[in-house]
Amino acid sequence: MLVRYVARRFLASLVVVLGVTLITLILMDRTRGTYVPGIDLNPSLRPEDIEHLRENLGLDRPFYVWYLTWLGSVLHGDFGHSMIDGSPVLSHILDRLPNTLELTATAIVIGVLVAVPLGVIGALRRGSKTDHALTVTSVAGFAVPQFWMGLMLILIFSVTLEQHGLPWLPSSGAFSAFNGGDFLDRVEHLVLPATVLSFFYTSQWSRFIRSSMLEVLSQDYIRTARAKGMSERRVVYLHGLRNALIPLITLIGLELPGLVSGGLVVEVVFGWPGIGKLAFERALQYDYTTVMGVTFFATLLVIAGNLLADLLYGALDPRIRYG
Amino acid sequence: MSRDEDHKDDGFAQFEQFLEEWSRRDFLKRTGGAAAYLSFIGGGLAAFLEACAGGTSNNTPTAKKGGHVVEGNFSDIRTLNSMLSSDTASNQVIGLMFDGLLNYKKDGSLVAALAQDLPKTNSDGTVYTFKLRSGLKWSDGQPLTSDDVKFTYQLAYDSQYKDVTSPRRGDLSKYIKSIDTPDPQTVVITTTQVFAPFLSSHGRYGILPKHVLGSLDGKAINTAPFNTAPNVTCGAFKFVKWDKGQQVTMERNDNFWAGPPNLDQWIYKVLPDSVAVTNQLKTGEIDIGPVDPSHFDAVKSADNVAVTEFPVPTFTFYAYQLDAAKKGGKLFSDKAVRQALLFALNRDQVVSAVYFGHGSVANSVEPPISWAYKDKPQVLYSFDKAKAESMLESAGWTKGSDGIRAKNGLKLKFDMITNAGNKQRESMLQVMQQSWKDIGVDATPSLIQFPQLVSQITNIRTFDMFLVGFNFDEDPDQGQLWHSRNTVAGGFNGFDFKNSDVDSLLDQAVGTLDKTKRKQLYGQFQDIMSDVVPAPIILFNHGIWGVSKRVQGADFGPFNQFATRPWNHNVWVTDGK
Repeated sequence: MLVRYVARRFLASLVVVLGVTLITLILMDRTRGTYVPGIDLNPSLRPEDIEHLRENLGLDRPFYVWYLTWLGSVLHGDFGHSMIDGSPVLSHILDRLPNTLELTATAIVIGVLVAVPLGVIGALRRGSKTDHALTVTSVAGFAVPQFWMGLMLILIFSVTLEQHGLPWLPSSGAFSAFNGGDFLDRVEHLVLPATVLSFFYTSQWSRFIRSSMLEVLSQDYIRTARAKGMSERRVVYLHGLRNALIPLITLIGLELPGLVSGGLVVEVVFGWPGIGKLAFERALQYDYTTVMGVTFFATLLVIAGNLLADLLYGALDPRIRYG
Repeated sequence: MSRDEDHKDDGFAQFEQFLEEWSRRDFLKRTGGAAAYLSFIGGGLAAFLEACAGGTSNNTPTAKKGGHVVEGNFSDIRTLNSMLSSDTASNQVIGLMFDGLLNYKKDGSLVAALAQDLPKTNSDGTVYTFKLRSGLKWSDGQPLTSDDVKFTYQLAYDSQYKDVTSPRRGDLSKYIKSIDTPDPQTVVITTTQVFAPFLSSHGRYGILPKHVLGSLDGKAINTAPFNTAPNVTCGAFKFVKWDKGQQVTMERNDNFWAGPPNLDQWIYKVLPDSVAVTNQLKTGEIDIGPVDPSHFDAVKSADNVAVTEFPVPTFTFYAYQLDAAKKGGKLFSDKAVRQALLFALNRDQVVSAVYFGHGSVANSVEPPISWAYKDKPQVLYSFDKAKAESMLESAGWTKGSDGIRAKNGLKLKFDMITNAGNKQRESMLQVMQQSWKDIGVDATPSLIQFPQLVSQITNIRTFDMFLVGFNFDEDPDQGQLWHSRNTVAGGFNGFDFKNSDVDSLLDQAVGTLDKTKRKQLYGQFQDIMSDVVPAPIILFNHGIWGVSKRVQGADFGPFNQFATRPWNHNVWVTDGK
């Protein structure tokens, strides 16, 4: 039963992968004009050189031919070379993957660790001052643009602290340029970007847990548990929270692609050498192969994340059956 | 003129304009370059350029050995293969690891690098004979010979390597007839014709190791691992590693021809933007970085950073659509309109409002620090709104009921495009819109993405007017922009400027090595350009660099900014760290 479910989901997801990559390509191709990726306004290029470059990159062919060629190579595990710098796309992705995972995984863990208690407190003290304060904070988390918050943190924790001779935090990169890269150094660099990214996750998830918790706490079985004389602590954490957490699985599952595409904005603001920044920069430069490679990966992860969430759902909630 | 070129925007100072527009005290206060300024007035350009180096000149007693420098910039590198690179970031890092035959001094004149001297030229000016320094070695200890030089140039001119996607192919295959290597120390380059800018444009490409790349065919060279991890170099530094998106780490090359450099490491760090450069110069996270004009005062006020500013041959210009078959061309084929619009634009105000004074207005299309610059060409343009209006009136462009001028039912109304995200260019379009509105001209700014702007300029060409930046070499040849042969699809004369006198002057000027004759030809060329104004230059930019006070010997100048830094091996740090 389960195997068939997974197989069917897998087949359906193939369509999604094809659709997403094809749309990405069409968007790039239609807006590119006559721009040839990798060359800037370089006056020493003759028209025939540009034509030659176009042929080399396969851009003289219609986009659907280009797409089929690309798809063929990808099925053979070859993601091709970047149109901008000639490096293998896979190496671009794999080189940056650890950095992105480091940032997003940290942010997600912090997000969950902070969001769950806050959500529970909000639900238990519904309508209290604490609850209102939490609500305001999380709305702020939605509303404040990440780039702005990032810049503010840099201004406060890097520039201002340094000016006053206090200990300060580095504002860009994943490690120090000179002799950097040990554990403490990486943690120092991680603090600011992870704070911005996890603030966003926390705001989202704490609201979610609060409402989910409120819903669960009004269920009959909670009343039953209380009627049995179970301690409030057990009621809340054993019967309430466990059930309230189930929907969160879906949310986090949906964040899985975020593990790879990363907090794009956060990566750009903090010069974090991750995949989100790569995709962003290369999209602006019309680096077809790299953008397609990242898109392909990200799409696969969205699908995997969704599937994983669905399966976990079933494991956690016996009422759900796959068919 | 790359995407990130706005970051490296620099320009020349037209100092007489400075005198007019800036009180001297103001200028001195801003640049802190009192000595530099006075020496320019008194002692001419060379003295000015020397003095420009300011606090970072290498007149300090003894250089310490060891330590490192972190240099910050905005773009990651793309390739470290000197024959494939076309962007500033890559060229900059390549310059630290690969030397060419020649290099630039900071005033733009040539200086020998791997070559022992400047080459000997034969009587008709078509054959250059280079003698390499003796005992040249690659970083792996192998000898560097004339074969390596020939191989490097072959990648871009020899049909055997036609698959190599070299941006140098157009020029090199056109001008190089053959390269001979009579002995390991001698390189003879025979050119197809006399081409005056040949040495300054093509004499400084980093030489590549034949013993590493020689066995590969053209296609394989495009994707060789060497391009991103060059294990053998011939410049001051060796490659250690490239952390993509973050930094390139380099270390001392003990086999460098001028002896081991002072520093142990040079790190090129990629930063998100110019704000980060300013911040990290202050925090000491980076030691060297280009400073945005709007951050000049912020960096200047930092105790730990010295700022150096100088004019460079980068400029911003706007171009009129001159193809009479197109909408814009119908307006701009009228010379009076082109001239009047320029008279109505207060370019000095643009420099102070958009570039905070760190740039200069020039009288000509040649950069003011070029030896070919003509300070008083035929027509001079200073801001004169009344004159602009009367020119339009007498040319028949009269104001309608809506306040917009028109002639024979054709309204003086057009769109101006530039690339979105470049805030200086965006502001300039706004100033232009307002200035021209004041004389009854309706110009609408429109922002498009950089690739679309490139397409517009080189191929599609449906624009009315575009605004973009450009950078000239040391040589005063400007054929790429103004010669009518470059109106073909893909060429950079995308505004369809065709003038047979200009063509002929440009051709003659590159066809002789006689500098006096060239100067005279470029003078005539500048006269014509000032009269027909196909694409007025708004300003020449300034190069501004912040250098940590612990760093000595970084001697930035107009032609020693990015790729060409003959002094890089002399840089040292006072704390030895």
